[in-house]
Amino acid sequence: MEAGRDRRAVDADSRRWVERLLTADHPQHERAAAELHGLLLRVAHHELSRRRGRLRWIGGPEFDDLAHQAADDALVNVLARVDEFRGLSRFTTWAYKFVVFEVSSKVARHAWRRQAPGPADLAWDRLPDALAPRPGDRLEQRERLEALSAAIGELTERQREVFVAIALNDVSIDVLALQLRSNRNAIYKNLFDARRSLRARMAAAGHPVVNEDEIA
Amino acid sequence: MTGHRRLEELLRAQAGDAGCTAGEEILDAYVELELAGEDPARVFPGTAIHLRSCPGCQADHDGLLEAARRFADVKPR
Repeated sequence: MEAGRDRRAVDADSRRWVERLLTADHPQHERAAAELHGLLLRVAHHELSRRRGRLRWIGGPEFDDLAHQAADDALVNVLARVDEFRGLSRFTTWAYKFVVFEVSSKVARHAWRRQAPGPADLAWDRLPDALAPRPGDRLEQRERLEALSAAIGELTERQREVFVAIALNDVSIDVLALQLRSNRNAIYKNLFDARRSLRARMAAAGHPVVNEDEIA
Repeated sequence: MTGHRRLEELLRAQAGDAGCTAGEEILDAYVELELAGEDPARVFPGTAIHLRSCPGCQADHDGLLEAARRFADVKPR
């Protein structure tokens, strides 16, 4: 974890949430848990709507069911970890994090079950049309893209699969993690290493890539 | 996006990237700083770098920021 800052003074509302949720024998525990569940459900609905693009095939009842599952699972997690709340945010923001993660994971699982990435999504063939050299491109740009193509061919097999799927074919990182029986963090590491390797190879070929916000 | 910019985004890999797990731990604190008008990159530089490069964590961040803004300040009754 990044070091960040020291614990802030916990605000009164957050303290109240924690007191009521920390132990089941608090007189207002059940009521507070029910209230929090209602909030988590609203966040789940909102978050699912925001990610609707990856769930186009899901109808109303299934959509609601998914929201309920996410809220239920998030509430279980929050109640199990209330004692870990460090007061770095409002309690509700901390609790919403759990439901956002649940929605994220459930959307990926649904998308993977519905349409898992196939061999064509992971296999390296050529640059997609949006990137491929065009007749009107300047020579320098054509050479850059040819250097990129050559560098992709030199990645390790795993780095190439991950880079091609995520960066070139727009496969979701979480869907790819499910397909490769891995997790987001490990897949991201593969992607990061692939990008570093490609940049190094392109620089060695005389085509360095520098992001504007990295120059300072 | 021009071919040049697209290529830069495609190959974004910046030193100091904190990775997914580190960001998950502090995402609520990160979002809270943004809502308070502070710059979270000053407190969590590695996560700020990571969020520019990781599509999964970026989506989670955007969702949490929106939820915390929209459903803020709810007191237990």
